[in-house]
Amino acid sequence: MTDDAKPRLAPGVRLHADGTKLLGPERILELDEIAQAIVREFDGTKRVSEIATSLAKEFNERESIIRADVDALVKDLASKGYLKL
Amino acid sequence: MPSPIGLLAELTHRCPLGCPYCSNPLELVRAGGELDTKTWTRVLQEAADLGVLHVHLSGGEPLVRTDLAEIVNAAHIAGLYTNLITSAVGLTPQRLSELKGAGLDHVQISIQGVEPARADAIAHFKGGMKMKREAARLVVHEGLALTINAVMHRENIADLPQIIDLAQEWGAGRLEVAHVQYHGWALANRASLMPSREDFERAASVVDEAKTRLSGDLVIDHVIPDYYAERPKACMGGWGRQVIVIAPDGRALPCHAAASLPEMIFANVRSRSLSDIWREDDAFAKFRGTEWMPKPCRGCDRAEIDWGGCRCQAFALIGNAAATDPVCTLSPDHAIISAAIAKDEAAPSAPYRFRRIGG
Repeated sequence: MTDDAKPRLAPGVRLHADGTKLLGPERILELDEIAQAIVREFDGTKRVSEIATSLAKEFNERESIIRADVDALVKDLASKGYLKL
Repeated sequence: MPSPIGLLAELTHRCPLGCPYCSNPLELVRAGGELDTKTWTRVLQEAADLGVLHVHLSGGEPLVRTDLAEIVNAAHIAGLYTNLITSAVGLTPQRLSELKGAGLDHVQISIQGVEPARADAIAHFKGGMKMKREAARLVVHEGLALTINAVMHRENIADLPQIIDLAQEWGAGRLEVAHVQYHGWALANRASLMPSREDFERAASVVDEAKTRLSGDLVIDHVIPDYYAERPKACMGGWGRQVIVIAPDGRALPCHAAASLPEMIFANVRSRSLSDIWREDDAFAKFRGTEWMPKPCRGCDRAEIDWGGCRCQAFALIGNAAATDPVCTLSPDHAIISAAIAKDEAAPSAPYRFRRIGG
């Protein structure tokens, strides 16, 4: 994943009002707490490097660890069609 | 008791198309019997309160309802994810922008084939394919998500590679490859629709190859035909477990084919709340869970995976809605499926009995 990638939810995908799941055509994806925090940042304007920096601060965690979580989630969601890069 | 997650809102049975495998019942509701806007608005809010996440606005052709945008908006305000399931006939730029403004999340357009004249012949509607292509372009242009739904059967199964290409060319994010299931109209046309097992297996490998090749670009969902499966599907995710169907006249059904079951009385949302129906109605309770199951479902390690399969299929083929779905190779009635395949997969194609009201 390059630092500059700016993930955004694919057309037709949105976060449910309660923030705990992604809704798409004929599909529902329950998100754990970490994934919920990351997905909230996917607005198509923020770079993955910025997302990792700000979440590392928020959760008081090493940036490299958060970045690995972000990259893994982006890869997983993109392959399932929930995200566009 | 589980909460339902999906509501299939059959807004009307009216439809300009006449597909010979239509999932509507043989006995169709006429326009005068349809629920009004106000009732739909209430039902959609009740659905959201009950835990429903997705509403599938279907029919018939939902675009024939002039109040469709109002219904979409009511669902959107209730917080539901709104999916329009349409033939695309009547999806003009003006209507699409109205629907988008009302909060529509997703559009699913059906196609009957690739080559226009042949596709139109299956849909029994001239010029349909051209309208679909134009509507798909508009949907993508509006920034809405598009699914293409292709119903596969003997006449178009060899065109699957071109159907996949077409879904990509039209800008769909998702393709549903749905083999005909033999209920209602499709059962009446089974001898003309059933592909050979060889053709089905070839189609399955085309899908598998395309899924890998197009991963990340096009999501492909493959609904395999019951007759060529060894185990049944969890029909509607299990009776009374995940989905409520509302027929155009307001009857609340556990499955869109359930109206075909005799001696069952279905509650109507005109006179009862959705929550009351879901929790208390006898029809929803009848085949919910595992208590009702006969052998070999009872005690089977798949009892809570496929929930006994499809009640309507059991009734249609063996006359007993409380029997194991005969699609299952463990069913004592499975020979009926093998016999149907032997008879129909190589049967000469007769003219279709096209779906029509009063039909």
